[in-house]
Amino acid sequence: MPSTQPMIEARGVQKWYPNGFHALRGVDLSVSKGEVVVIMGPSGSGKSTFIRTFNALEEFQEGSISVDGIALSNDLRNIDAIRCDTGMVFQQFNLFPHLTVLENLSLAPVVVRKRRRSEVEAQAMALLERVGIAEQARKYPGQLSGGQQQRVAIARSLCMEPRILLFDEPTSALDPEMVGEVLEVMRKLAADGMTMVVVTHEMGFAREVAHRVVLMSEGQIVEEAPPETFFTNPQHERSRQFLAQIL
Amino acid sequence: MTSIQPGPESGSTPPLRPARPAPKSVQPSWAGALRQELFASRTDGLVSVLLIMVILAAAVGLLRWALGQAQWAVIQANTTLFAIGRYPIQQQWRLWLLVVLVAALSGVSWGLLRAFPRADRSGEIWPFNDRLAVALLGFLAAWLPAALALGLPLQLRWWVITALLVATRWLAGHWGRSWPPRLVKLVPMSWPLLYLFGMVLIAGGLGLPRVPPSEWGGLLLTLLMASFAILLSFPIGVVVALGRRSSLPLLRWASVLYIEFIRGAPLITLLFLGQNILGYMLPGGWAPDRVWRAAWVLTFFCGAYLAEAVRAGLSAVPPGQLEAARSLGLSMPQALQRVVLPQALRIALPGAVGQFISLLQDTTLLSLIGLLDLLGTARTVMANPEFLGKNAEVYLTLAVLFWCCCAALGLGSRALERRLDPTHSPA
Ligand SMILES: Nc1ncnc2c1ncn2[C@@H]1O[C@H](COP(=O)(O)OP(=O)(O)OP(=O)(O)O)[C@@H](O)[C@H]1O
Ligand SMILES: [Mg+2]
Repeated sequence: MPSTQPMIEARGVQKWYPNGFHALRGVDLSVSKGEVVVIMGPSGSGKSTFIRTFNALEEFQEGSISVDGIALSNDLRNIDAIRCDTGMVFQQFNLFPHLTVLENLSLAPVVVRKRRRSEVEAQAMALLERVGIAEQARKYPGQLSGGQQQRVAIARSLCMEPRILLFDEPTSALDPEMVGEVLEVMRKLAADGMTMVVVTHEMGFAREVAHRVVLMSEGQIVEEAPPETFFTNPQHERSRQFLAQIL
Repeated sequence: MTSIQPGPESGSTPPLRPARPAPKSVQPSWAGALRQELFASRTDGLVSVLLIMVILAAAVGLLRWALGQAQWAVIQANTTLFAIGRYPIQQQWRLWLLVVLVAALSGVSWGLLRAFPRADRSGEIWPFNDRLAVALLGFLAAWLPAALALGLPLQLRWWVITALLVATRWLAGHWGRSWPPRLVKLVPMSWPLLYLFGMVLIAGGLGLPRVPPSEWGGLLLTLLMASFAILLSFPIGVVVALGRRSSLPLLRWASVLYIEFIRGAPLITLLFLGQNILGYMLPGGWAPDRVWRAAWVLTFFCGAYLAEAVRAGLSAVPPGQLEAARSLGLSMPQALQRVVLPQALRIALPGAVGQFISLLQDTTLLSLIGLLDLLGTARTVMANPEFLGKNAEVYLTLAVLFWCCCAALGLGSRALERRLDPTHSPA
């Protein structure tokens, strides 16, 4: 069960893209340690934009975000510290195609944390074991299936020993038969107490794993509820429309 | 892959067929393959026969001339001139030493490449191409010095050098894996060191008497100019390409200005311009004489074109790569160095090598500003009354020499591309 210690605190976050588009219109969210929050919402509602502000892949203009007690500001040292503590898994995997699976995992710990390669590789092998693809360690990402690639991407984030994992539609680019293996890994992570913010439309996952489901629409959070209430008894008209569409 | 496997819920699951190795593709015989390629239909056959006849006629004519009428004495009498220009005789041992070092290091590097195949491939130590290359080297070593009518001592030297290359190739290939890792890591780094040391050997310094650039010539000068420009243009190209995509306006404008200035003028103009103004632009001692001025012009010229190739490579790397690297905590320089540039340069490689090949050929323009590169040397030889009218022999030799150098560049880059290609199927 999540504790009450906040890992992510977002207050009144406003974001305009350089072309003037108002993508986030005052978003508040707090995520406790060990909590799994699923963000849903129609396409273009700002889900990706929002979770990408957590590790400063997107800037925001107003409001405040703090991650694990560190305030996101223009101070580059803060940003680097937060990125080391926050793993991110992308829809398109974004594995480094010129490195083997093992090198993908060990790059950041060796380069950023200056750890010994041999020690990191041992840890990386253990992680690959955990996501079930240890035997692919010496292959290149292009030689793996989509599901395997996404599991490597998860293991790559874990190799930095993050305290928070962010997922941006991790299964949307996968063939249906590979979705299960990735969700299984995410389920195990949640069970181990990892703090996770997951943008996904996987209802089953949200129902079983999420502690809280958040619905975004037009750059705002319109509903925030435990999955039981969210799926059976949504309070807002927007949520009902959205659920009607995806069910 | 069209087979559909029934899901677990369907009642009677037929047993899955066990995996088996891929069938050997049927290799048609040489003759069969040729017939299919050349005589697939009647018109194909007709065109093939005509073309073969034309090619044969030309080849026979050329061979008859080359073996019968041509008088190769013009080449045989001037081998040294073609190779190194007027490099002083007492100092030539320095060039021999350089050739020996290059041969040894090439052999070691080549062998190590085979001893350490890519992580995902099982490599042979002596693949077919390598055996072919060694056979070709052996043939050249046996035939070329004799054909050039070199004296026996010189012939011997070339045999020894070729043997050294093959021996180091053999040693590194078979024993490289048991060498200490430190030593193996040293090998790629020793190339730039060897280049610097080679410069010292050629030009003098560190106790060696100076040989002024005006005495360098022939193939030596051509290769020196080309390699200098290629090596130095590489960092220039990368920096300018990054500058062109930078968010700092001044850097961006400076990069664009540089690229457009260089690309807007023909090389020969720049070479003449460089002879006249480079002395004012570079700090004293950087462009002391005509040869170095030309070298810098070639470098900046190549750098501008290379920047465009690298820029194409950079924009071909998906933005998600940088985002993933940054989200893992890598700083911008780390992300560029470890993630973005390796991919961008790999993509830019074919374009860059095309650029290098044309640069190698462009060195012939140096003869127009009075330097004795290969073409300049050739022109002095042909102007010699003793060899009047031997233009065909000289130009053919030049063409073959350039062709060999460019082929080597092309082959090397293709091999590099294959080694770096992350999706290439196991070799
Ligand atoms: N670089 C950009 N410049 C301008 N507008 C942008 C940019 N990136 C995104 N947007 C706009 O911001 C809005 C939110 O985009 P975002 O990618 O966060 O949506 P999303 O909820 O993740 O959608 P999806 O489910 O399709 O991934 C969209 O309307 C999009 O068009
Ligand atoms: Mg999105």
